[in-house]
Amino acid sequence: MFRADIIKVTRTGKGGRVMKKRILSLILAGAMVAGTLTGCGGNSGTESAAPATGGETQAEAEKDTGELSEVDKIIQEAEGLSMEELAKKAIEESNGKTFYGLGNSSRGKTALPLFIEYLQTIDPSYKMDYEWQQPKNNKIFEQLSADSLKGTGTFAMTLIQDGNQIESKMVQTGILKTFIPKEWAEANGTTPDQYEGYLPLQAQNKVFMFNNTGDATYTNCWDFVYEGSHPLFMDIDSEVVGKNFLYMLTEDTYAGWLKEAYDALDSEKQAYFAPVVEEVSKDAEDLGLGENGKYALAWIKLWVENYNAQTDDGPICNTLVTSSATDQSGLLVYNKLRSVEESADVSKKNVTIAAYQDGYQGIGGYAYNHYLFLTDNSPLPWTACAFIAYMTCTEDGFSAWGKDLGSYSFNPDVMAAIETTYQHSKGGYNEAGENEFDCYNDRGYDWWTTTGKLVVEDPEYCAGASFSVGSWIDMLTKYSGSTK
Amino acid sequence: MFAAPSVFKGVGMDRTANKYNKKAIFLNSVKTYVSKPQNVILILFGIVLTFTTIAPIVAIVKDTFVIHPGTIDAHLTGKSSGYTLVNYLDLFTSRLAVTNLWKPLLNTLLLSAFACLISILYGGFFAFLVTRTNLKFKRYLSSIFIFPYIMPQWTLAVVWQNLFSSNAVTGTANGLLASLFGICMPGWWCQGLFPSAMVLGLHYAPFAYILIGGIFRNMDSNLEEAATILDTPRWKTMCCITLPMIKPAILSTVLLVFGSAMGSYPVPHYLGLTTLSTKYLSMNAQYTGEASILAIIMMIFGVAILMANQVSLKSRKNYTTVTGKSGQLSKINLGKCGKYVTGIIFIILTFLTSIFPILLFALETFLPNPGDYSFLYTGDMSNLTTKWWLTNTNTADSSLYGQMGILYNSTIWNALKGTLLVAVCCALIAGTIGTLIGYAVSKNRRGRLASYVNGMAFLPYLMPSIAVGAAFFVLFSNEKINLFNTYTLLIIVGTVKYIPFASRSALNSMLQISGEIEEAAVIQNIPWLKRMFRIIIPIQKSAIISGYMLPFMTCLRELSLFLLLCTQGFILSTTLDYFDEMGLYAFSSAINLILIVMILIFNTLVNKLTGASLDSGIGGN
Repeated sequence: MFRADIIKVTRTGKGGRVMKKRILSLILAGAMVAGTLTGCGGNSGTESAAPATGGETQAEAEKDTGELSEVDKIIQEAEGLSMEELAKKAIEESNGKTFYGLGNSSRGKTALPLFIEYLQTIDPSYKMDYEWQQPKNNKIFEQLSADSLKGTGTFAMTLIQDGNQIESKMVQTGILKTFIPKEWAEANGTTPDQYEGYLPLQAQNKVFMFNNTGDATYTNCWDFVYEGSHPLFMDIDSEVVGKNFLYMLTEDTYAGWLKEAYDALDSEKQAYFAPVVEEVSKDAEDLGLGENGKYALAWIKLWVENYNAQTDDGPICNTLVTSSATDQSGLLVYNKLRSVEESADVSKKNVTIAAYQDGYQGIGGYAYNHYLFLTDNSPLPWTACAFIAYMTCTEDGFSAWGKDLGSYSFNPDVMAAIETTYQHSKGGYNEAGENEFDCYNDRGYDWWTTTGKLVVEDPEYCAGASFSVGSWIDMLTKYSGSTK
Repeated sequence: MFAAPSVFKGVGMDRTANKYNKKAIFLNSVKTYVSKPQNVILILFGIVLTFTTIAPIVAIVKDTFVIHPGTIDAHLTGKSSGYTLVNYLDLFTSRLAVTNLWKPLLNTLLLSAFACLISILYGGFFAFLVTRTNLKFKRYLSSIFIFPYIMPQWTLAVVWQNLFSSNAVTGTANGLLASLFGICMPGWWCQGLFPSAMVLGLHYAPFAYILIGGIFRNMDSNLEEAATILDTPRWKTMCCITLPMIKPAILSTVLLVFGSAMGSYPVPHYLGLTTLSTKYLSMNAQYTGEASILAIIMMIFGVAILMANQVSLKSRKNYTTVTGKSGQLSKINLGKCGKYVTGIIFIILTFLTSIFPILLFALETFLPNPGDYSFLYTGDMSNLTTKWWLTNTNTADSSLYGQMGILYNSTIWNALKGTLLVAVCCALIAGTIGTLIGYAVSKNRRGRLASYVNGMAFLPYLMPSIAVGAAFFVLFSNEKINLFNTYTLLIIVGTVKYIPFASRSALNSMLQISGEIEEAAVIQNIPWLKRMFRIIIPIQKSAIISGYMLPFMTCLRELSLFLLLCTQGFILSTTLDYFDEMGLYAFSSAINLILIVMILIFNTLVNKLTGASLDSGIGGN
C-alpha cells in the first residue's frame, strides 16, 4: 500500500533545483559520506524491515527471549483476576501512597477519586493521594519517553490518544504495556489472551457544526471546503489526531464516501471542485491510493488550505455558540457544547450539527480512541490495573466520560448503562419534554458510524500513511491570517 | 660501577636545584594566584559555566544525529536507533524546507528586527520626552511605562486578540472593538507579523527606555547647543550628534531584544505567526531531530549577536557621554499646552498597555462564557458569575472541565508554590553567582579568563529561551540523569539563563568602585568575606539587589524557557498556558492577575525597602 519507493519519491521530489539544493546541503553539512545517506547506525543501530510499523522491536524481542518485565508478569497475573481481586491487590500496594497518572483527557482527574471511593468500600481505611496530568502539544509522548528512562517511573499508567504515535513511539519501544481486564474481554465476547490490540477506554467524536444565525448552509461535507469557508479546527500540528483524520480519509471506504458526497453536489459546486480533483489525481496515483483517492486528496488539500487554526476545541466552541459568529463553522469535540452557559449573547441554539440535518451528504466528523496502558516501569502496577479495570468495566468508573456527549465506552454493558442513566439521546430536551437544544441530542455511536458517516481512526492505517500522505499534507500551504 | 665525574655531579645538582626552584616558583605563583579570591571565583565559574553552557549545546547537537523511533529519521533510515545525518539532509533539501525552515526563519528574523525597531522608537522617544523635555506627569508615566515588561509577554497578545478579533476578519467571535463599535480591523492588523512585532516591541520598550534614558539623562547638551549656534539643521543635529551619542544604548537594546524576541513562543503562537520557536514545537512530534536543528539555528543567532556586540564595543570609545568637563542638561519646552497634551497622550497609551490588560483579566473571571460581554450592552448584571472563583467541587459545573473554582483549585495554588520556589531559588543562586562573577571580572577585567567567564555567563541570555529549554531537556532526559519535571531542573535552567542579569548589574557597579577602597582593607589584613559584606556590598547595595530582583521577576512569568521542562501543573506560567489553550480563559486570566499583582507587590516592596527600581534615575524618582 505504502511502498518505500513511493515514499522516497514524495520526499525527495524531482528536478534540478532540488538537486542543487541537495548539493549545497552536502557542502554545508561538511563531510558527507555516501553510506550515511541511509544512516550510519554503527554499533548501536537496530535494523528494521518496515520502520514505521515493524522491525524487531524491544517489545517483540522481550517476547522472543521470554524475558518479561516485572510489569509484564503482573499484567499476566492480573488478566486472570476479577475486579474485586484486583481491587484488593491495589489496596495492598498503594495504601497511603501517591498515584500519578498521565492522560490526554482531563477526566482522569475526575475518575480517580471515584476509584478511591470504590476501594474504600472494600477497605474503609484505604487512602491514596493522586495527581493527574494532562499535557498539551503532543508533550505526552516526550513525558512518557523521559519517564521511561527512570528505573521506577513516576507515572503508573496513561490514558493516551493517537494510535499512530502510540504504536511507533510507545509500544514498539516497550515503554507502554497493554492490560486487558477479564470482565471487559468477557463483555466483548472474548478473553484477554484472544484479544489483540490496545485497550480502548472510549471513542470520542469530533463533529462538523456551524453557527446558524445567518444564511449559510452546510448540507454536504464539501460545503466546509467551498469557496470562502474557513472552518475552525485545532491545528493538525498541535493535535496530531487531526492529522490522523486526514490520513483516514484516503482509506478506500472514506474516500468512497467523499466521492458519493461529491456526486451529490450541484453542477456549480462540482465545477468549482473539479480542477482541484484533477490537480491531485497524479499525487493520488503516486501515493498508491484507491480509485477515489483523488477526491480524498482534493478535500484534504482544500481543508488544510482553508481551515482557521485554533489552539483547542474549547475556544472553537466558545466562538460558534456566540451570536456574532454568524455562518462560521467548525470541526470539534461534540462534548464541548456541555460547557456552554446560556446568556444573551451565547446559546447552544446558535449551532447546528451538520450531520443531523435531513439530507446531509458525506462525512459527519471523525472518531478517535483513548487507549489505556501501564508504563513498563509503573511504580504501582496493581493499582494501575485495578484503576484501568474500574474505568472500563463499571458504570461509575466510566461516569467521568459517560456524562459527555459523543463519548462512547467500548464495553457494551457500560455503554448501555450510561445511556440509561444519562439519556444522551434526549439531552436537548427540557423539563417540559420539549426539544429545546436539538444539537444536544446525541444519536449514539451506532448512528454516527453508519448514518452519520463518522470517520474512525485506524492506528495501523495511520502509521502506514504518516510519512506518505503525511508528507504530502505537510507540503500544503496552511491557511493563515484573516478570512478577508 | 660507573661513577659520574664530580663536574657532572655538580651540573646534576644544579639541574635538580633548578628543577626544585622552578617547581617552587610555579607552586608559589599558583599559591599567589589562588590567594586572590577573584581568581578562585573565575576558575570555579569558568569550569561550572563551561559545563552549564556548553553541555546543553553538545547534547542538542548530538540529538540532531540520533535516530528517534517513530519519527522521520527512523522512517528514512529504516532504523529504530543509532546515528544519522538524514535530519540535516531532510530539513535543508526536502520539499518541506521552505515550510519547515526558510519561512519560519525569515519570519523570526523579521519579527526580531521589527520588535527591536518598535521598542527603540517607542521606548527611545519616551525616554527623550522624559529626560529632555518638560513633559508633565513624568513620575507616573515613568513608573507605568515599565509595566508591560513586568507583565508576562503574552498578556498584550491576549489583549490584542480580545480587542481586535472579529467574525468578519478573523473568522471568530467579535472582540470588544467589533462588539461595541462595529469596527473590524484588517487581517494584517489582527494576526501575523505586525501584531506579534507590536506586542513584543511594546513588551521590550522599557529596555530601550531604561538604556537610552540613562544616556539622555547624562548627556551634555552643550554639544547640541553648539550645533544650534552654528545654525545646523535640527535633523542634522539629531543624525550627527544625538543619535551617535545614544548609539551604544541602541545597540544594547538590540542585543537584549533581538535574542529575546527570537526565542519568544507565546506571542507568535497566540497571534498566528510561524517562527522557529513555534515550528520547533509543532515539528517535535514527527520531526524530532529536525526540530533540534531549528534550536541550534536559534542558538547560532545568539552567538552571532554576542560577537556583533563585541565588534560594536570597540567603536563605543568614540561616543563618550560623560566627561570630566562640566556639563548641563537643558530641557526642550513642549509649550504650555504641549506638555499636558503629550502627557495625556502617553497616559492613554500606557493605560492601554498597562492598566487595561489588568482590568480585562479581572473582568474575564466574572463572565459566564469566555469573551461573553453581553452584560455590557444588555445591562443585565445577572449575566456575570462567580462560578470560576467559588465552585468547590470538580463535578458540579461542566463548563469548568472537571476543575474546581480558582479559590479551591489545588493545581493553581500548588503551581503558585512551585513558581515561588523556582523564582526564589533562581534569584538567590543566580544573584549570588552573578555578583561574584561581576566582582571577579571587574578585578581582572583585562585578563583572558575574566573575559571568557564574562562571555560564558552572558551567552545563555542571548540564546533564545525555547532553544535553551530544548537543550536542557535533551541533556537531562537520559538513563543516568533524568530531571524532567523536577524543580531541580527548572532551578538549574533558570539560574543559568538569569546569571547575566546579576553579572551585568554587578559588573557595572563594581567597575565604579575604586580599587583603593578594597586595597586599604587588604593592607589592614581584613578577610575577603568581611571586605565583601562590610565594604563592597553595602556600597553597591542597590545594583546588587537589582541583580537578585530581575531574575526573580523574570522567573515568575517565564514560559518559553520552562515549557519543555515540566508539566502544566508544575508552575504558574505553564498552568496558565494549559488553561488558555483549553479555552478556560477565566482561569488563565486569574493566573495572569495573580502573577501581575505578585510582581507588582514584590517590585514595590523592594523599591520601598531598598530604593532600587527599574526606572530609578530616569523618570521622576
